[in-house]
Parts: sequence; C-alpha cells; structure tokens
Amino acid sequence: MAEYVGIDLGTTLSGLAYLKPDGNPEIVPNSDGERLTPSVVFFEAHEDVKLVGSAARDGGEPDRTVFQIKRYMDDPEHLVEIDGKKWTPAEISALILSKLKRDCSKIIGEIKEVVITVPANFNELARKSTIAAAEMADLKVKRLVNEPTAAAVYYAHSQGVQGRILVYDLGGGTLDVTILNVEGDNIRILTSEGARHLGGSNFDEMLLEAYAEQYSKQTGAKLFTDERHRRRVLQTTEDAKKMLSKLQRVNDTVANDKNDGIARIDLTRESFEKLIRQMLTRTVMLVEQALDSAKLKTSEIDHVVLVGGSTRIPKVKTVLEKLFGKVPKSCGNVDECVALGAAIFAKRSARIQEVCNASYGTVAMVYNARTGEEKLMNSVVIPKNTPIPCSRTQIYQTSEDNERVIEVDITQGEDEDAKFVDVIGRITLEVPPNRPKGCEIAVTFSYDENQRVRALVVDKQSGRSREVAVSYKGAGVLSEDDLKRKSAHLRTMRIE
Amino acid sequence: MFKKILQSLSKSQTAKTEAPKQAAVTAPTKAAQATSGVLNQIAKPATTPDKPKTPEELCEITPKMSKDQIQAQLKLLYRRYNRSASSLDSKIRSEADQMLTAIVTVREKNFGEI
Ligand SMILES: Nc1ncnc2c1ncn2[C@@H]1O[C@H](COP(=O)(O)OP(=O)(O)O)[C@@H](O)[C@H]1O
Ligand SMILES: [Mg+2]
Repeated sequence: MAEYVGIDLGTTLSGLAYLKPDGNPEIVPNSDGERLTPSVVFFEAHEDVKLVGSAARDGGEPDRTVFQIKRYMDDPEHLVEIDGKKWTPAEISALILSKLKRDCSKIIGEIKEVVITVPANFNELARKSTIAAAEMADLKVKRLVNEPTAAAVYYAHSQGVQGRILVYDLGGGTLDVTILNVEGDNIRILTSEGARHLGGSNFDEMLLEAYAEQYSKQTGAKLFTDERHRRRVLQTTEDAKKMLSKLQRVNDTVANDKNDGIARIDLTRESFEKLIRQMLTRTVMLVEQALDSAKLKTSEIDHVVLVGGSTRIPKVKTVLEKLFGKVPKSCGNVDECVALGAAIFAKRSARIQEVCNASYGTVAMVYNARTGEEKLMNSVVIPKNTPIPCSRTQIYQTSEDNERVIEVDITQGEDEDAKFVDVIGRITLEVPPNRPKGCEIAVTFSYDENQRVRALVVDKQSGRSREVAVSYKGAGVLSEDDLKRKSAHLRTMRIE
Repeated sequence: MFKKILQSLSKSQTAKTEAPKQAAVTAPTKAAQATSGVLNQIAKPATTPDKPKTPEELCEITPKMSKDQIQAQLKLLYRRYNRSASSLDSKIRSEADQMLTAIVTVREKNFGEI
C-alpha cells in the first residue's frame, strides 16, 4: 500500500506522485505509459466506457468530450449533458481521479488516502466539490493543499533552499502567486493570491483570433463555423505557442473545413509577446499585490520559483527577472512539481503553517471619532493571510433603540466597499427588549486548519450568543446519500 | 477611536418587528445584487451610457493626481476587479475584465510597459 500519495488535479493535466521509502517523491505513470494524464473525459457513444486522458483529448468529438472541467468547480449551475444524463463538475473530476487511482495502484499498490492540490483561490464550493469527487472515486482526502504551497514544498525539498520564496504558477487556466518562508523543515505561508481566467488558454484564444483574422483577410472566408473545427484550430494555435517558446519564428498554414483555401500564418515570438503583453502585466500586478499583502519588497524575496506549463514562455521569465533583479528558478519539471510536492506534504503537513484564504467580516457603519467621518463599509474581523488556526473578535454596537433581533451579515472578501464582497450568511440573535441603541455585540470568527470558518455572535449585556459554521450549503453540494449512490455507481463504470 | 455600528443588509428591507428568522447560512449572494436600502447608500451614481469612458475615467484617474496616487488607485482597483473577475455572474465578470484592461492601459501609460 502506498502511504503518502499526492494528486495534482489540474485544469489541463493531472498527475499522481507517491513518497518512496527513501523520502523522495516520484511520479507514477498511468496505464498509457504517460507521467501526466490530460484532464479530459470522452463519453464513448458505442461502448459503455469513459475514456480519460490522451485518448479522450485526441478523440475529436467535441460534443462528447469534456475539457477543463476544473474551471467550473465553483459553479453550482454548471452541468455537462451527455446522452440525456447530466454530470456535475465533481462527477467529471471523479472520472479523472478514478483513472489515476486505478492505473497507479497497479504500480504502487492500493491507494486509500491522498492529498489533493487546489488553486489557492479556490472557493469553498470548489474545495467541497473536489473532496466529493475524490470520495466518488473511492479516495479519502487527508487534506487539500494549495498548489503553490505544494510546488514550494517540492522546490525547497529538492533544492535544499531556505528563506523567502515567491512561487509564480501560471498554468492553463489560472495564475497563483504565493510567498512563503522556509526555515529548516518548517514552512510558513505568508500570502497567496490568485487570478482566475488568466493562463495559457487565454493566450491560445488570442492566437486563435489572430489566425481567424489572417484567414479571412487572405481567403475572404471564415476560419471556423462550428465548435469541432474551432477546437481543432485551437489545438494548432496551442502548438504554435509552444513552438514559440523555443523558436523565434513559426510558419503555419490553416484551412477551414469548407474548402475555402489555405492561409499562411507567419508568427514571430515578438508579435506573440506583444499579443500577450497586457495579460502578462496583469500577472505582474498580482505579484505586486502578493508583495503588498506580505508587506515585502522585491529585494526581500530570496528565490523566485516558476511553476506551470505557461512559465516556459521566455517572456514570462524576462518580465520576472526585470521585476526582481534576479533570475527566476524553475523547479525542474514545471508540470510535475505540484504532484511531487503534494506527496511530500502528505507526510509533512504538520510542519507547514498555512493562512486564511479569505477575509471574513460584517457590514457596519464606522465612525471615526477623530475626523468625524462616517462610512458604511465591510468591516473585516479576520483578515486574509492570518496564520491558521486563529480566532479574532471585534466589538460592534447596536443601531436602534429597543432592537429585539440582532442581525449580523457574514461577509467574505477584503474590499472596504460592501458592494465588492460576498455576503455568505447571516446570524440572527434575539435580545431582551427596551434597551437603548449602542449595546455591545462581540463578533468572533475562528478558522481551523482545514480552512473551516465559524462565527460567534455574543450580546455582551445579556450573555446570549449564537454560533454557526460558516459553510457553503447552497446549490451544487451533494447530500451524503447522493454522494454514496454516485460513488457506488462510479465503481461499476468502465474507465480507461 | 472608531465606533462600529452593526448594519444588516436585510433589515433595511424588512420590518424591524418581524419575528426572528432561523440563522441560515445560504449560498453566496453578491451584495451588489441586493437592492437593499443599506446598499443604496453606498451605491455609486449611475453612469451615463451614451459616451464610452476612457480608461482614465473608468479608473477615476484625474490629471491632478500624483504618480503615487495613481499607483495606489490602480492597486486598489486591481485587487477589487481581479476578485470580481472570478465571480459566477458573467456580467460582473465581463465588467471586471474591461476594468482590468483599463487598469493595465493606464498603468502602461503612466509607468511604462513591462
Ligand atoms: N512550451 C510551452 N510554451 C508555452 N506554453 C506551454 C508550453 N508547454 C505547456 N504550455 C502551456 O501550459 C499550460 C498547462 O500548464 P499546466 O501547469 O499543466 O496547467 P494546469 O495546472 O492549469 O493544468 C497550457 O496552457 C499549455 O499550453
Ligand atoms: Mg497546475
């Protein structure tokens, strides 16, 4: 049995690693002989089988193929319909996890408990869906760990480095920036910032637009009119993008599927860099935001570590080198280090200090006694990046005379402006009658190692209190029964 | 120095004498979508849709602002809209994307390209 197993359930690629007896992690290949498995699922029409991986990706039937399901893990309404059956993102992910589990256990023995990585900015629904996916695939989740944390754990382990590390993880769909401190065997996360919908796929889409424009210029026709052909061209643009990481110039030809002729596409690295420049600026702004959050200057970062397939783009490296004045390091294989780090994390999680992923607070009218200013705002009780576990209290006052029911909105988000945060819950507390306004109410938030949050409201005068677990129970979360039923069903499926 | 008075988004909508509701933690709702009285107090005045705004206007950058002020404003807006860019509401998401493009444009104009 493999005791310490880590899984990187990626947007484009997934991988599984285990910790060898010598303490070093290793990637376990799938039954197709690949170290990483494309996160793609194909629903075969003629046989009752789900294909996962390269075979699915190259199958060429977009209506029956599911790509990048991870992008929808936080969307309670997202369903994939195939042959009249609706699949949730968690169920699709469960198929990918099942393939990894089945294939890899042939090599390393039974896999029961795993650490799964998630983007640092995955919200609660996405985290819950990931755990549900694992359970359906008959895997127990020991812990979820943020991807950049896993990558940094691997980097620190394999390079034996100490000090402050900034991890820049630019993958297919997301960017994650994490700053952490390594001291001996102990790792302390200082901050984690993420940007969704910012990654290699955006660059592919931008190239696709450029291709389509060139095509209609040269032939007067449309490059694609349906999803199937669009996918095909998108694959071409991704290949061209990858070539441009190695070459200065790529000559390509494209055609539509209507015999309207062929167009020549002449791409230079320079023009590609120009195309993605604004996107890269956004990534720099996220790096700056992370530095601000950790109250650090660029000069105070000892190592800049590159993770994710898109960091192979040479411009990414030069931009970061210019910003930090030092050459960023790649942690060996940028596609594998997250899974490898997760396997190490499975054993060492106790020595890794993490932080709150989000700020929690409530809505309050804040008076500044000195300036006389008053402002209705999101009043943060636990700021993001507070080391966990933690607990914080703020004292508020009631707003009305004879207020019988205190209502406390629970907000998630750091913006002062309440318009830009999520109200994720509400606590109501009945209090005694006939009291003037201005009675003190203590609001306490506490946060545990598993990123679970509790809120406690105490009316100081009467001592009455109410506590709730702040958790997402809305749409998209499966009931225990549903989960059991679905995992039983999944076990009977043929997944290749 | 600071006095903080609790304000409930729902109370401003419903009668204060209403019986206490069960504390329920429900799906996240974007505060912006609520049409509560409290939020109206903080809502910005409606924008005029006729003329497209310049990136500077979108970012509320005025000619009088110093470089430091511009930088601080861009940072605040980036943090805000990068977060909304992951909203589940596609309208909020596309607005956030436009704002991020404007933020980057203003940054490039004032501080040069990366
Ligand atoms: N040589 C390369 N040059 C540019 N982009 C690359 C290269 N190799 C891989 N990529 C891109 O990296 C992305 C996948 O990175 P990965 O870290 O596996 O993503 P994720 O973690 O989101 O699954 C894809 O968009 C892919 O096109
Ligand atoms: Mg990744």
